[in-house]
Amino acid sequence: MRHKLLFLSLALLTGCASASRSQIQRPANSSLADAMITQRGVLTVLGRQFTLNGYLSISATGGKRLIITENFGGVLADVLIKPDGTVHVMRSSRAFKPKWIRRYIAADLECLFGNNLKTDCPGQMLSPTHFLISRRWYKLDLQIVETKPGPQPATMFDESKAGNP
Amino acid sequence: MKNWLTILFCVLATSVHADETNRNLQPVADPRPILADLQHKMASLESVYFEFAQERQLQLFAEPLKSEGVMLIDRPGQIRWETTSPYQSILLGNQKSVAQFEKTDGQWKKLKLGFPQMLKRVMDQMTLMHQGKLDALTSDFNISVATGRVAVVTMVPKDENVRSMLSSLEVIFQPDFSASKEVVMHEPGGDFTRIIFRQEKRNVKFPANTFDQTKPLDVAAIKTAIGDAP
Repeated sequence: MRHKLLFLSLALLTGCASASRSQIQRPANSSLADAMITQRGVLTVLGRQFTLNGYLSISATGGKRLIITENFGGVLADVLIKPDGTVHVMRSSRAFKPKWIRRYIAADLECLFGNNLKTDCPGQMLSPTHFLISRRWYKLDLQIVETKPGPQPATMFDESKAGNP
Repeated sequence: MKNWLTILFCVLATSVHADETNRNLQPVADPRPILADLQHKMASLESVYFEFAQERQLQLFAEPLKSEGVMLIDRPGQIRWETTSPYQSILLGNQKSVAQFEKTDGQWKKLKLGFPQMLKRVMDQMTLMHQGKLDALTSDFNISVATGRVAVVTMVPKDENVRSMLSSLEVIFQPDFSASKEVVMHEPGGDFTRIIFRQEKRNVKFPANTFDQTKPLDVAAIKTAIGDAP
Protein backbone atom coordinates (compact mmCIF):
# COMPACT_ATOMS: atom_id res chain seq x y z
CA MET A 1 0.00 0.00 0.00
CA ARG A 2 2.75 2.37 1.00
CA HIS A 3 4.67 1.61 -2.21
CA LYS A 4 1.55 2.17 -4.31
CA LEU A 5 0.98 5.56 -2.73
CA LEU A 6 4.59 6.48 -3.26
CA PHE A 7 4.41 5.40 -6.88
CA LEU A 8 1.20 7.33 -7.42
CA SER A 9 2.72 10.43 -5.89
CA LEU A 10 5.82 10.17 -8.02
CA ALA A 11 3.76 9.56 -11.13
CA LEU A 12 1.64 12.61 -10.49
CA LEU A 13 4.69 14.70 -9.73
CA THR A 14 6.59 13.63 -12.81
CA GLY A 15 5.66 12.16 -16.15
CA CYS A 16 1.97 11.43 -15.85
CA ALA A 17 1.03 14.92 -14.82
CA SER A 18 2.80 16.63 -17.70
CA ALA A 19 2.01 14.04 -20.34
CA SER A 20 -1.68 14.82 -20.15
CA ARG A 21 -1.16 18.57 -20.60
CA SER A 22 -1.32 20.18 -24.02
CA GLN A 23 1.99 20.73 -25.73
CA ILE A 24 3.17 23.69 -27.75
CA GLN A 25 2.95 22.74 -31.40
CA ARG A 26 5.16 24.90 -33.54
CA PRO A 27 4.65 24.90 -37.30
CA ALA A 28 7.29 23.07 -39.27
CA ASN A 29 10.21 25.23 -40.49
CA SER A 30 9.30 27.98 -38.04
CA SER A 31 12.87 28.40 -36.77
CA LEU A 32 14.63 31.61 -37.72
CA ALA A 33 18.15 31.57 -39.09
CA ASP A 34 19.60 34.89 -37.96
CA ALA A 35 17.61 37.46 -36.04
CA MET A 36 17.22 39.61 -32.98
CA ILE A 37 13.88 39.03 -31.27
CA THR A 38 12.44 41.25 -28.55
CA GLN A 39 9.99 39.59 -26.19
CA ARG A 40 7.69 40.70 -23.41
CA GLY A 41 6.64 38.16 -20.84
CA VAL A 42 4.40 37.90 -17.80
CA LEU A 43 5.69 35.26 -15.41
CA THR A 44 3.19 33.89 -12.90
CA VAL A 45 4.62 32.13 -9.85
CA LEU A 46 2.42 31.15 -6.90
CA GLY A 47 -0.29 33.47 -8.15
CA ARG A 48 1.99 36.49 -8.35
CA GLN A 49 2.98 38.12 -11.62
CA PHE A 50 6.24 39.63 -12.80
CA THR A 51 6.94 41.33 -16.11
CA LEU A 52 10.10 40.52 -18.00
CA ASN A 53 11.80 41.63 -21.19
CA GLY A 54 13.66 39.13 -23.33
CA TYR A 55 16.26 39.89 -25.98
CA LEU A 56 17.04 36.84 -28.07
CA SER A 57 19.82 36.71 -30.64
CA ILE A 58 19.70 33.76 -33.00
CA SER A 59 22.49 32.62 -35.27
CA ALA A 60 22.28 29.66 -37.59
CA THR A 61 25.88 28.81 -36.83
CA GLY A 62 26.40 30.31 -33.36
CA GLY A 63 23.32 29.26 -31.46
CA LYS A 64 20.91 31.25 -29.32
CA ARG A 65 21.64 33.92 -26.72
CA LEU A 66 18.85 35.14 -24.47
CA ILE A 67 19.14 38.06 -22.08
CA ILE A 68 16.26 38.64 -19.68
CA THR A 69 15.81 41.98 -17.94
CA GLU A 70 13.35 43.43 -15.46
CA ASN A 71 11.21 46.49 -16.19
CA PHE A 72 13.96 49.02 -15.71
CA GLY A 73 16.71 47.19 -17.55
CA GLY A 74 18.50 45.20 -14.86
CA VAL A 75 19.75 41.88 -16.21
CA LEU A 76 18.17 38.90 -14.48
CA ALA A 77 19.46 36.07 -16.65
CA ASP A 78 21.76 35.54 -19.61
CA VAL A 79 22.03 32.17 -21.28
CA LEU A 80 23.74 30.82 -24.39
CA ILE A 81 22.65 27.62 -26.11
CA LYS A 82 25.11 26.35 -28.65
CA PRO A 83 23.98 24.63 -31.86
CA ASP A 84 24.86 21.26 -30.30
CA GLY A 85 22.46 21.97 -27.45
CA THR A 86 24.99 22.68 -24.73
CA VAL A 87 23.81 25.32 -22.30
CA HIS A 88 26.05 28.04 -20.87
CA VAL A 89 24.72 30.26 -18.11
CA MET A 90 26.50 33.54 -18.78
CA ARG A 91 24.87 35.56 -16.02
CA SER A 92 22.45 34.81 -13.22
CA SER A 93 20.77 36.83 -10.48
CA ARG A 94 18.98 36.46 -7.19
CA ALA A 95 15.74 36.12 -9.13
CA PHE A 96 17.06 33.46 -11.49
CA LYS A 97 19.65 31.04 -10.13
CA PRO A 98 21.91 29.16 -12.57
CA LYS A 99 20.03 25.92 -11.90
CA TRP A 100 16.71 27.52 -12.82
CA ILE A 101 18.14 29.17 -15.90
CA ARG A 102 19.53 25.85 -17.08
CA ARG A 103 16.48 23.79 -16.19
CA TYR A 104 13.63 26.07 -17.17
CA ILE A 105 14.70 29.11 -19.18
CA ALA A 106 16.93 27.11 -21.51
CA ALA A 107 14.26 24.43 -21.85
CA ASP A 108 11.54 26.96 -22.68
CA LEU A 109 13.84 28.66 -25.15
CA GLU A 110 14.39 25.36 -26.94
CA CYS A 111 10.65 24.69 -26.91
CA LEU A 112 9.87 27.98 -28.63
CA PHE A 113 12.91 28.57 -30.80
CA GLY A 114 14.84 25.29 -30.95
CA ASN A 115 15.70 23.62 -34.21
CA ASN A 116 14.49 20.24 -33.06
CA LEU A 117 10.97 19.61 -31.86
CA LYS A 118 10.93 19.02 -28.10
CA THR A 119 8.52 16.77 -26.32
CA ASP A 120 8.29 18.42 -22.90
CA CYS A 121 6.79 21.76 -23.87
CA PRO A 122 3.55 22.10 -21.90
CA GLY A 123 1.50 25.04 -23.07
CA GLN A 124 -0.12 26.58 -26.10
CA MET A 125 0.81 28.56 -29.14
CA LEU A 126 -1.92 31.22 -29.11
CA SER A 127 -0.61 32.83 -32.28
CA PRO A 128 2.68 32.82 -34.19
CA THR A 129 3.89 35.57 -31.83
CA HIS A 130 2.11 34.63 -28.61
CA PHE A 131 2.87 31.63 -26.44
CA LEU A 132 1.67 30.36 -23.10
CA ILE A 133 4.02 28.02 -21.25
CA SER A 134 2.37 26.16 -18.37
CA ARG A 135 4.74 24.25 -16.15
CA ARG A 136 3.99 23.03 -12.66
CA TRP A 137 5.85 25.84 -10.92
CA TYR A 138 5.03 28.69 -13.20
CA LYS A 139 3.22 30.05 -16.21
CA LEU A 140 4.83 32.28 -18.77
CA ASP A 141 2.73 34.38 -21.13
CA LEU A 142 5.22 35.37 -23.81
CA GLN A 143 4.77 37.69 -26.77
CA ILE A 144 7.20 38.47 -29.53
CA VAL A 145 6.97 42.23 -29.91
CA GLU A 146 9.72 42.85 -32.44
CA THR A 147 11.83 40.79 -34.85
CA LYS A 148 14.84 42.16 -36.66
CA PRO A 149 16.22 39.68 -39.18
CA GLY A 150 19.94 39.79 -39.84
CA PRO A 151 23.26 38.40 -38.66
CA GLN A 152 24.17 38.90 -35.02
CA PRO A 153 27.63 39.74 -33.61
CA ALA A 154 29.80 36.64 -33.33
CA THR A 155 30.83 37.58 -29.78
CA MET A 156 27.24 36.90 -28.73
CA PHE A 157 27.81 33.22 -29.20
CA ASP A 158 31.24 32.89 -27.64
CA GLU A 159 30.82 31.11 -24.32
CA SER A 160 34.26 32.27 -23.17
CA LYS A 161 33.03 35.86 -23.07
CA ALA A 162 30.70 36.04 -20.11
CA GLY A 163 28.49 39.05 -19.53
CA ASN A 164 29.30 41.81 -17.14
CA PRO A 165 28.83 41.06 -13.45
CA MET B 1 17.96 49.18 -6.65
CA LYS B 2 15.12 50.84 -4.73
CA ASN B 3 17.21 53.89 -4.08
CA TRP B 4 18.30 54.59 -7.60
CA LEU B 5 14.86 53.92 -8.99
CA THR B 6 13.56 56.42 -6.51
CA ILE B 7 16.11 58.95 -7.55
CA LEU B 8 15.34 58.30 -11.19
CA PHE B 9 11.67 58.94 -10.66
CA CYS B 10 12.41 62.04 -8.69
CA VAL B 11 14.77 63.73 -11.06
CA LEU B 12 12.42 63.06 -13.91
CA ALA B 13 10.01 65.44 -12.28
CA THR B 14 12.02 68.37 -13.59
CA SER B 15 12.59 67.31 -17.13
CA VAL B 16 12.86 68.68 -20.66
CA HIS B 17 14.36 67.85 -24.05
CA ALA B 18 17.34 68.40 -26.41
CA ASP B 19 20.64 66.95 -27.56
CA GLU B 20 24.12 68.21 -26.92
CA THR B 21 27.44 66.44 -27.02
CA ASN B 22 30.06 69.05 -26.18
CA ARG B 23 29.52 69.63 -22.51
CA ASN B 24 32.70 71.59 -21.69
CA LEU B 25 32.15 70.91 -18.01
CA GLN B 26 33.75 72.55 -15.00
CA PRO B 27 33.19 71.08 -11.52
CA VAL B 28 31.32 73.22 -9.01
CA ALA B 29 33.18 73.53 -5.70
CA ASP B 30 30.10 73.86 -3.52
CA PRO B 31 26.99 72.27 -5.04
CA ARG B 32 24.73 73.06 -2.08
CA PRO B 33 23.24 76.32 -3.42
CA ILE B 34 22.44 74.61 -6.72
CA LEU B 35 20.81 71.69 -4.97
CA ALA B 36 18.83 74.08 -2.80
CA ASP B 37 17.61 75.85 -5.93
CA LEU B 38 16.65 72.52 -7.46
CA GLN B 39 14.75 71.70 -4.31
CA HIS B 40 12.88 74.96 -4.58
CA LYS B 41 11.92 74.28 -8.21
CA MET B 42 10.73 70.75 -7.50
CA ALA B 43 8.68 71.89 -4.53
CA SER B 44 6.69 74.29 -6.69
CA LEU B 45 5.82 71.71 -9.32
CA GLU B 46 2.17 70.63 -9.22
CA SER B 47 2.20 68.16 -12.08
CA VAL B 48 4.32 67.15 -15.02
CA TYR B 49 3.88 65.19 -18.23
CA PHE B 50 6.65 64.09 -20.54
CA GLU B 51 7.47 61.67 -23.29
CA PHE B 52 10.71 59.75 -23.16
CA ALA B 53 12.96 57.56 -25.27
CA GLN B 54 14.91 54.98 -23.34
CA GLU B 55 18.08 53.42 -24.72
CA ARG B 56 19.64 50.51 -22.94
CA GLN B 57 23.21 50.05 -24.14
CA LEU B 58 24.58 46.58 -23.47
CA GLN B 59 28.11 45.93 -24.69
CA LEU B 60 27.01 42.65 -26.27
CA PHE B 61 24.60 44.36 -28.61
CA ALA B 62 25.66 46.41 -31.59
CA GLU B 63 22.65 48.69 -31.21
CA PRO B 64 20.91 50.01 -28.09
CA LEU B 65 17.69 48.35 -26.94
CA LYS B 66 15.10 51.05 -27.38
CA SER B 67 11.75 51.72 -25.80
CA GLU B 68 9.44 54.71 -25.63
CA GLY B 69 6.78 55.94 -23.30
CA VAL B 70 5.28 58.64 -21.14
CA MET B 71 5.53 59.55 -17.50
CA LEU B 72 2.98 61.58 -15.54
CA ILE B 73 3.24 62.90 -12.01
CA ASP B 74 0.53 64.71 -10.11
CA ARG B 75 0.05 65.82 -6.54
CA PRO B 76 -0.38 64.27 -4.10
CA GLY B 77 2.03 61.54 -5.06
CA GLN B 78 0.30 60.10 -8.10
CA ILE B 79 2.51 58.62 -10.75
CA ARG B 80 2.02 56.85 -14.08
CA TRP B 81 4.92 55.30 -15.98
CA GLU B 82 3.77 53.91 -19.31
CA THR B 83 5.78 52.12 -21.94
CA THR B 84 4.17 52.53 -25.34
CA SER B 85 6.72 50.83 -27.60
CA PRO B 86 7.78 48.11 -28.39
CA TYR B 87 5.23 46.73 -25.90
CA GLN B 88 2.51 48.39 -23.87
CA SER B 89 2.60 48.44 -20.09
CA ILE B 90 1.37 50.83 -17.40
CA LEU B 91 2.71 51.24 -13.86
CA LEU B 92 0.52 53.29 -11.53
CA GLY B 93 1.14 54.42 -8.00
CA ASN B 94 -0.39 56.63 -5.33
CA GLN B 95 0.09 57.07 -1.60
CA LYS B 96 -1.81 53.86 -0.82
CA SER B 97 -1.14 51.34 -3.56
CA VAL B 98 0.44 50.44 -6.86
CA ALA B 99 -0.86 48.63 -9.93
CA GLN B 100 0.43 47.34 -13.23
CA PHE B 101 -1.39 46.69 -16.49
CA GLU B 102 -0.18 44.82 -19.55
CA LYS B 103 -1.75 44.94 -22.98
CA THR B 104 -2.15 41.50 -24.48
CA ASP B 105 -3.94 40.82 -27.74
CA GLY B 106 -5.43 44.30 -27.66
CA GLN B 107 -6.78 44.00 -24.12
CA TRP B 108 -5.46 45.59 -20.94
CA LYS B 109 -5.01 43.12 -18.10
CA LYS B 110 -4.32 44.06 -14.51
CA LEU B 111 -1.49 42.04 -12.95
CA LYS B 112 -1.29 40.53 -9.50
CA LEU B 113 1.99 42.20 -8.65
CA GLY B 114 4.76 40.10 -7.15
CA PHE B 115 6.52 42.73 -5.04
CA PRO B 116 4.15 45.68 -4.75
CA GLN B 117 5.94 46.96 -1.66
CA MET B 118 9.02 47.79 -3.69
CA LEU B 119 7.12 49.97 -6.10
CA LYS B 120 5.11 51.44 -3.25
CA ARG B 121 8.30 52.49 -1.53
CA VAL B 122 9.42 54.24 -4.69
CA MET B 123 6.11 56.09 -4.84
CA ASP B 124 6.26 57.11 -1.18
CA GLN B 125 9.72 58.55 -1.59
CA MET B 126 8.63 60.21 -4.80
CA THR B 127 5.95 62.01 -2.84
CA LEU B 128 8.55 63.34 -0.41
CA MET B 129 10.72 64.51 -3.26
CA HIS B 130 7.76 66.11 -4.98
CA GLN B 131 7.36 68.16 -1.83
CA GLY B 132 10.94 69.30 -2.18
CA LYS B 133 12.48 67.14 0.52
CA LEU B 134 15.79 66.16 -0.98
CA ASP B 135 17.30 64.83 2.24
CA ALA B 136 17.21 61.29 0.87
CA LEU B 137 19.55 62.26 -1.93
CA THR B 138 22.44 63.29 0.28
CA SER B 139 21.98 60.42 2.68
CA ASP B 140 22.10 57.83 -0.10
CA PHE B 141 24.43 59.46 -2.64
CA ASN B 142 27.62 61.43 -2.90
CA ILE B 143 26.59 64.31 -5.13
CA SER B 144 28.75 66.47 -7.34
CA VAL B 145 27.83 69.14 -9.84
CA ALA B 146 29.56 70.34 -12.99
CA THR B 147 28.51 73.13 -15.33
CA GLY B 148 29.28 74.10 -18.91
CA ARG B 149 27.15 74.00 -22.03
CA VAL B 150 24.98 71.72 -19.94
CA ALA B 151 24.84 71.16 -16.21
CA VAL B 152 25.41 67.71 -14.81
CA VAL B 153 24.53 66.39 -11.38
CA THR B 154 26.39 63.15 -10.72
CA MET B 155 25.21 60.88 -7.96
CA VAL B 156 27.34 58.00 -6.72
CA PRO B 157 25.61 55.56 -4.36
CA LYS B 158 27.12 55.38 -0.90
CA ASP B 159 25.91 51.85 -0.37
CA GLU B 160 28.34 49.29 -1.73
CA ASN B 161 25.54 46.87 -2.67
CA VAL B 162 23.77 49.55 -4.68
CA ARG B 163 27.06 50.52 -6.26
CA SER B 164 27.54 46.94 -7.47
CA MET B 165 24.48 47.51 -9.71
CA LEU B 166 24.69 51.24 -10.33
CA SER B 167 28.09 52.90 -10.37
CA SER B 168 26.69 56.37 -10.95
CA LEU B 169 23.66 58.27 -12.11
CA GLU B 170 23.97 61.43 -14.16
CA VAL B 171 21.22 63.95 -14.55
CA ILE B 172 21.88 66.34 -17.39
CA PHE B 173 20.17 69.69 -17.04
CA GLN B 174 19.77 72.82 -19.03
CA PRO B 175 22.66 75.17 -18.13
CA ASP B 176 20.40 77.20 -15.84
CA PHE B 177 19.10 74.06 -14.11
CA SER B 178 15.59 75.00 -15.18
CA ALA B 179 14.90 71.47 -16.38
CA SER B 180 16.64 68.19 -17.06
CA LYS B 181 17.32 66.83 -20.54
CA GLU B 182 18.30 63.27 -19.86
CA VAL B 183 19.25 60.76 -17.24
CA VAL B 184 22.08 58.28 -17.68
CA MET B 185 22.49 55.31 -15.35
CA HIS B 186 25.97 53.77 -15.51
CA GLU B 187 26.60 50.20 -14.45
CA PRO B 188 29.91 48.81 -13.20
CA GLY B 189 30.64 46.74 -16.32
CA GLY B 190 30.21 49.62 -18.75
CA ASP B 191 26.59 49.07 -19.70
CA PHE B 192 24.31 52.05 -19.31
CA THR B 193 20.75 53.22 -19.75
CA ARG B 194 19.92 56.62 -21.17
CA ILE B 195 16.50 58.22 -20.85
CA ILE B 196 16.04 61.16 -23.17
CA PHE B 197 13.16 63.56 -22.66
CA ARG B 198 11.30 64.64 -25.76
CA GLN B 199 8.35 66.56 -24.48
CA GLU B 200 7.38 68.19 -21.25
CA LYS B 201 4.26 69.89 -20.02
CA ARG B 202 4.21 71.35 -16.54
CA ASN B 203 1.35 72.03 -14.18
CA VAL B 204 -1.20 70.44 -16.46
CA LYS B 205 -4.62 69.24 -15.36
CA PHE B 206 -4.89 65.54 -16.07
CA PRO B 207 -8.32 64.17 -17.04
CA ALA B 208 -10.27 61.88 -14.73
CA ASN B 209 -9.07 58.28 -14.44
CA THR B 210 -5.53 59.12 -15.59
CA PHE B 211 -4.23 57.44 -12.44
CA ASP B 212 -7.14 55.04 -11.93
CA GLN B 213 -5.84 51.69 -10.74
CA THR B 214 -8.87 49.76 -11.97
CA LYS B 215 -9.33 51.12 -15.45
CA PRO B 216 -6.76 53.77 -16.34
CA LEU B 217 -7.64 56.21 -19.08
CA ASP B 218 -6.02 55.48 -22.42
CA VAL B 219 -2.88 57.48 -23.03
CA ALA B 220 -4.25 58.82 -26.32
CA ALA B 221 -7.14 60.42 -24.43
CA ILE B 222 -4.71 61.95 -21.95
CA LYS B 223 -2.61 63.41 -24.74
CA THR B 224 -5.69 64.88 -26.34
CA ALA B 225 -6.87 66.38 -23.06
CA ILE B 226 -3.60 68.10 -22.26
CA GLY B 227 -2.69 68.85 -25.84
CA ASP B 228 -3.13 72.60 -25.48
CA ALA B 229 -1.21 72.91 -22.25
CA PRO B 230 2.04 74.89 -22.42
